[in-house]
Amino acid sequence: MTDKTIKRKHYMLFIAGGLSVILFLLLFNKTVHYTSTNEFCNSCHVHPHAETSWKLSVHHNTPSGVSIKCVDCHLPPEDQTARFLTRKAYHGFHDFYAYLTMDPEEIDWAAKRSVEASKHFVYEDGCLKCHTNMFPSTLNEQGSQQHIKYIRDPENNSCMQCHHDVGHYRGETNLLVGLEETVDPTEIYTEPAEVKAFETFEEQIPGTAVSFKMIAIPGGQFKMGSPADEPYRERDEGPVRDVEVNNFWMGEIEVSWNEYLAFFTATGSQGRKEAVEVDEETDGVSGATPPWGAPDQGWGKGTRPAITMSHHAAQTYCRWLSQETGRNYRLPTEAEWEYAARGGTQMPYFFEGSPKDFEADGFIKKLFGSNKEVINKYVVSHLNSPNKTQQPDVVEANPYGLKNMLGNVAEFCLDYYDPQVYGKYPKGVVKNPRGPRNGMEHVVRGGSFRNSPKDLRVAARDFTKTEAWLVTDPQIPKSIWWYSDTKSVGFRVVCEYDEEMITTEKIKSE
Amino acid sequence: MNKDQLSRRNFLEKSALIGAAGVIGLNALSSCKNTTKEVDYEFPPLLDQAPDGKELKVGLVGCGNRGTGAALNFLAAGHGLHLVALADVFEDKVWDCRDKLLKQRVEVPEKNCFWGFDAYKSLLDVDLDVVILATPPHFRPMHFDAAVQAKKHVFLEKPVCVDPVGARQIMATAKKAENIGLSVITGTQRRHSRDYVETYRQVASGAIGDLVAAKAYWLQSHVWFRTREEGWSDMEYMLRNWNSFCWLGGDHILDTHVHNIDIVNWFMGRTPESAVGFGGRHRRLTGDQYDFFSIDFDFGKGISSHSFSRQIDGCANQLGEVIMGTEGYTNCKNTIFNHDGSVKWTYDYPKNKDGRSTGVVAVSPYVQEHIHLVTSIRTNKPVVEAHRTAESTLTAVMGRTAAYTGQKVTWEEMMTSNEKLGPKKYEMGPVDMEFPVPKQGTQHKA
Repeated sequence: MTDKTIKRKHYMLFIAGGLSVILFLLLFNKTVHYTSTNEFCNSCHVHPHAETSWKLSVHHNTPSGVSIKCVDCHLPPEDQTARFLTRKAYHGFHDFYAYLTMDPEEIDWAAKRSVEASKHFVYEDGCLKCHTNMFPSTLNEQGSQQHIKYIRDPENNSCMQCHHDVGHYRGETNLLVGLEETVDPTEIYTEPAEVKAFETFEEQIPGTAVSFKMIAIPGGQFKMGSPADEPYRERDEGPVRDVEVNNFWMGEIEVSWNEYLAFFTATGSQGRKEAVEVDEETDGVSGATPPWGAPDQGWGKGTRPAITMSHHAAQTYCRWLSQETGRNYRLPTEAEWEYAARGGTQMPYFFEGSPKDFEADGFIKKLFGSNKEVINKYVVSHLNSPNKTQQPDVVEANPYGLKNMLGNVAEFCLDYYDPQVYGKYPKGVVKNPRGPRNGMEHVVRGGSFRNSPKDLRVAARDFTKTEAWLVTDPQIPKSIWWYSDTKSVGFRVVCEYDEEMITTEKIKSE
Repeated sequence: MNKDQLSRRNFLEKSALIGAAGVIGLNALSSCKNTTKEVDYEFPPLLDQAPDGKELKVGLVGCGNRGTGAALNFLAAGHGLHLVALADVFEDKVWDCRDKLLKQRVEVPEKNCFWGFDAYKSLLDVDLDVVILATPPHFRPMHFDAAVQAKKHVFLEKPVCVDPVGARQIMATAKKAENIGLSVITGTQRRHSRDYVETYRQVASGAIGDLVAAKAYWLQSHVWFRTREEGWSDMEYMLRNWNSFCWLGGDHILDTHVHNIDIVNWFMGRTPESAVGFGGRHRRLTGDQYDFFSIDFDFGKGISSHSFSRQIDGCANQLGEVIMGTEGYTNCKNTIFNHDGSVKWTYDYPKNKDGRSTGVVAVSPYVQEHIHLVTSIRTNKPVVEAHRTAESTLTAVMGRTAAYTGQKVTWEEMMTSNEKLGPKKYEMGPVDMEFPVPKQGTQHKA
């Protein structure tokens, strides 16, 4: 009798357990499905235009009428059950947390649109699950080349590199566009600017609509390098030396795409005549070969600083500019650069503040953040750039009126790099010092949008890394005009001041 | 009620059909995979003639001597094969070819004869099953892609391209062809020659042990060239003398020597990792090509292949391949030797009336290629040979680049290089290109 009840109880328990498991699974499945609907995603998601841009995209407005759901791209395929559920939980938690703590107005949605950022929330397995045939017969030549590249090395390539706008259409073109675009010229300069005195002027490149401001920097004496007690100081920044430089002009901003493309259009060669730098027969400058891919990284050209050109290309640009304007343009020497960047100050930066305050290292500062207000006013750095260059007008100028001396892009100097060069200068006040006579790498100054405050100090020194910056260049021999693996270096021009030049200009104009 | 039952029965029948189709589909997929593998490791059936089957119509793009020959080889592959269209960039070439074919009693309708740079497009509009591509190699990637887009089976003459971009284009188009079930055979006649295939089989089953070294060579007298005639524009001159210009022919390391390079890749079972070499020019009269190349292809693990080619009159000439193994060596063609030079095995050639070996295979490898193509089409077992020929061509391009630049060139660099030879536009007239003969290294100083 008792035996039977126990058995019966067991039986009931078993049934009830089974039922509740089934019920749980059903509910769980229902929940998973419900939370995978577009409606559910949209109910919570706050990015402006996410839904409209999705509806405009080829993934919704398909020829076959199949619309791709949010989760098809933003979660791993459902058949990878464990990964699907864990990633789903992760994103759910992340989004919920963001919803509670962040102001959507303050989120930089543009930055999240970059290929690199997209890797955090777009799952390539999803692409591959639907697109089973990577080589449809109508695939064009460029597509063929890219897909071959992808299947050889899926780790270092991504679908998003080319198919950037398939999920959300924002009128972007794909990233592989060359340098076809040209500025519609409103006024073509026939003559370079007239310069009558040692004062700031607006240079004009003849034959183009491009002009740029050259600021007169009166020469003088200053202390070059950083004192031993400066926070984050490196050994190559000393010993501090008294240095004197002559008058010179310096570009108000880093050489922009407008300026550099004028050079490229005028001198660019399609063939590989890289060994010839100056064409003796025509007395012309032979310029850069076309780059592979988009050297502006899709960030836009215009007045953004030109990047990825080699040190050699920058020097060739200066030679070309000199030829076009009849003035002596060149890269700044390291001393001129530091003198100009300091703008008469003698501190870690040309504005008040210690690198220790700005740098977000240490537990406390990581937790509560550092005071970035001052530095952000003057410098495009890792703190305020969404990992790309910015237009020159987002920062304030230094005391000489130069913009972006620190930050935005690092800048080539004329000198070869030698870590001990300050100690090798002759005793006393050094006039117009130059680096070593020869070497492999050149000085790079000023830090970039990728750097944090400690590397943006006026005295911080860096140098070109030719080999590392050309690792992925597919050409043989590698380009002498474009670096394939750095996007944070540009340059600024100086114009030599020569009293005779002013007097002849005066005589001409009289 | 009845209806329901009927529909249920229909449903059952349909689902059974779908199930069967699924199984067939799967089989088709796996058999497709097997056949591509078969070419290298399990060998194609080497028939004397393609089996009968549906009539096949072929069009020829590139009406020069090799093109005309290839068309005749195709027609000789079996019954029910017809040449129905011709295309070439020059009108006179088309009519010349048509006349030559008429002498062989092959008549191509006049309305299906096309000329000009776009002639291949008009040809692809004709009702065809197969296309033979035999123009200068420069145009091959473009023509191959157009042919596959038009869903034609293809015969590609070798080399299949002249630069790394072209090689990758061929590889991509090969995938497209596989995806839609087309057959593509290339003009690597050694791989289709019965003696080579049998020797490969012996070596693959260990007849000479592990492979340790190889050499491949194509040393011959000068080949044809044309001096410029009055009235020829730059483009016309180069096209009529394509064999002398790197952008059109890829230099002779591709044009002729690619066969030997292909054999070494085949026997080794892989492509080399890098190349170092040299070459030069001192006898040629036209164009921008070298007279000789000497390349060391490094296959890794200490294994390398010396590859050398020359086109100069009055020198010791030879062509072929040698592969060394731990237990002997072979000429790849028909004989396997012991290390002491004694013969271990020879290919059994057909015998003549007197019972002596004829020394030639029963079916010309130039026809055997087409028998293979037609067989794979008619038995619905698609074979795509283009990828491996693209690899062999790219191997030769790697050697050429090593010689031209004097640098060590890696396979990885070849697979990512954006080198693309030739003008931007194809039109008769002046061509704005320079043709300096490549010089490796730097000038010595006095």
